[in-house]
Amino acid sequence: MKEEELLENLKNAIFKGDPDKAIDLVNKSIKMGINVKEILNRAILKGAEEAGNLYEEGEYFLPDLLMTGDAITVTTERLKNSLNKKSELESKGTILIGTVEGDIHDIGKSLVVSLLQGQGFDVVDLGSDVPPEEFLRKAKEISPILIGLSGLMTMSISKMVETVNLLKNENIASRIIIGGGILSKESCEMIGADDFAKDGWEGVKKINNLIRI
Amino acid sequence: MVKDWVASVNRIFRTISGSKRVDKVPFLAFAGEQIICRITGKTVKELYNSPKVYANAIINTFEYLNADSINVPSAYAGPSEALAFAEANNKLDAIKWFDYQPLMCKQGAICKSEEDIEKLEIPDHSKNNLWNTSLQAAKIINDKTKFPQVISLSIWSVVQELRGIEAYKDMRRNPDLLLKLCEKIFESQMDIYENWLEIVGMPPNVFIAGYSFNRHMMSFQDSMRYEGQFIKRMMNKIKVPFMLHNCGTSPYFTEVVKEINFIAVNGSHPLDIEFWIDFKKKNPKIAIIGANIDVSREMLTGTPSDVEKKVKENILHLAPGGRYICCPVCSLPWGVPITNILAIPKAIEKYGYYPININ
Repeated sequence: MKEEELLENLKNAIFKGDPDKAIDLVNKSIKMGINVKEILNRAILKGAEEAGNLYEEGEYFLPDLLMTGDAITVTTERLKNSLNKKSELESKGTILIGTVEGDIHDIGKSLVVSLLQGQGFDVVDLGSDVPPEEFLRKAKEISPILIGLSGLMTMSISKMVETVNLLKNENIASRIIIGGGILSKESCEMIGADDFAKDGWEGVKKINNLIRI
Repeated sequence: MVKDWVASVNRIFRTISGSKRVDKVPFLAFAGEQIICRITGKTVKELYNSPKVYANAIINTFEYLNADSINVPSAYAGPSEALAFAEANNKLDAIKWFDYQPLMCKQGAICKSEEDIEKLEIPDHSKNNLWNTSLQAAKIINDKTKFPQVISLSIWSVVQELRGIEAYKDMRRNPDLLLKLCEKIFESQMDIYENWLEIVGMPPNVFIAGYSFNRHMMSFQDSMRYEGQFIKRMMNKIKVPFMLHNCGTSPYFTEVVKEINFIAVNGSHPLDIEFWIDFKKKNPKIAIIGANIDVSREMLTGTPSDVEKKVKENILHLAPGGRYICCPVCSLPWGVPITNILAIPKAIEKYGYYPININ
């Protein structure tokens, strides 16, 4: 199989959400000596983009994005392990993410984590039911470029306010995005975040926009 | 002034059924444990410890809010059902308790593996303390207020609690396994219904928390496969009208009412009033509960005057002809000012009497 064909097949395995096939094709690509950045940019990121486009067009749904996310996770992990020097695959930055205290829903957040990892970000996932103080402690430790607070319940809004206030009072300079279906422009302003997203895919797109600013 | 619950019962149920004998637009409030704790000063565990204490706290809260509705928030096929499954399967570590908000289940902790689904025991709700307390509280409320308690059932809400994110992946890699889980949840929901019949009596309606009917989560075909077909089976067994709730951002209301015969719908989206005007035009026999009074906008960050404007807009567009119940679109969050909640019944007093004549 030629390089072009191999990467095309890998891209297809990513957007079709087939982790087994994707890992097999990544192994073949590495064996063939294709540059890791080429594999990532020409196949894995392209596959993720295609899945996102299909989601926006209403052809794909959450299950499809999650399967793509799984394929991205295993292939990027394999690529990282194949490197001698970490600098060969530069991180686009570190993102800190978690579901706020009192809420333990994590479906949207998990999707965001796997897609961001596939795009070359280092993501530190604090999990769910995370107290404001834990967000602060970790933010001080790793200085993330962005902090994402997730929450499904209407009751999560007050905890988002508390967390953002604490981060700002402690002069954490990271951009802050909040995610959850119950959020609105008005609640985002009240919480004091830089932006909000109502679902995982929108979150990934808005995070990329916020980081570019 | 003593609350006239009989008037509220007539207002709510006549509106749902489309009767013309309604004096004014009813006010329904989704006041969960948070609001009940906030108004009564009790912790969740204090409420759950005694059906009498719980029922009185609920009655006091809904009367204080001047609502036309009243319900037991924990008698709901979400976290409480996850607790029943956790208890029946010795996985209580999946449950997290809070002081002033309902318990939660770590999504996916109860059915982590395929084997967990195969071996999943269906709970006996008569042996579960929280369900017993909740149903007895519902019975007390029935007796005291004469407001017949509506039962809330669900399939997908429980799937999410038990299987978490893996359920969505199962749709693509192992749909038969997912259907097996749905089937077990269906059986469990029927057990809730049997217990309800025995303790509370026949419900006037079933309120389906149909979380699958949301474009962001799955295709409409999948929502019918993993929830819709089970709702149809529930309808065959429980011969009362069904209502549908969905709090997703892109609900399939237009599609689902063509497939399943619902008497009312309630959703937190769309927030565009035009959608609801069009929905009412196309579905004149389906009552609308809520429309677009948003819990994260005017209710949370606005003033009583903002809320009044929104109630006025909703009444103007949706109340003429009946079958409209005024209601914030979802569960009231902790931080919402009480004055904003009270602004709803006040605005209804001003604008909501039939025949509607806003000017």
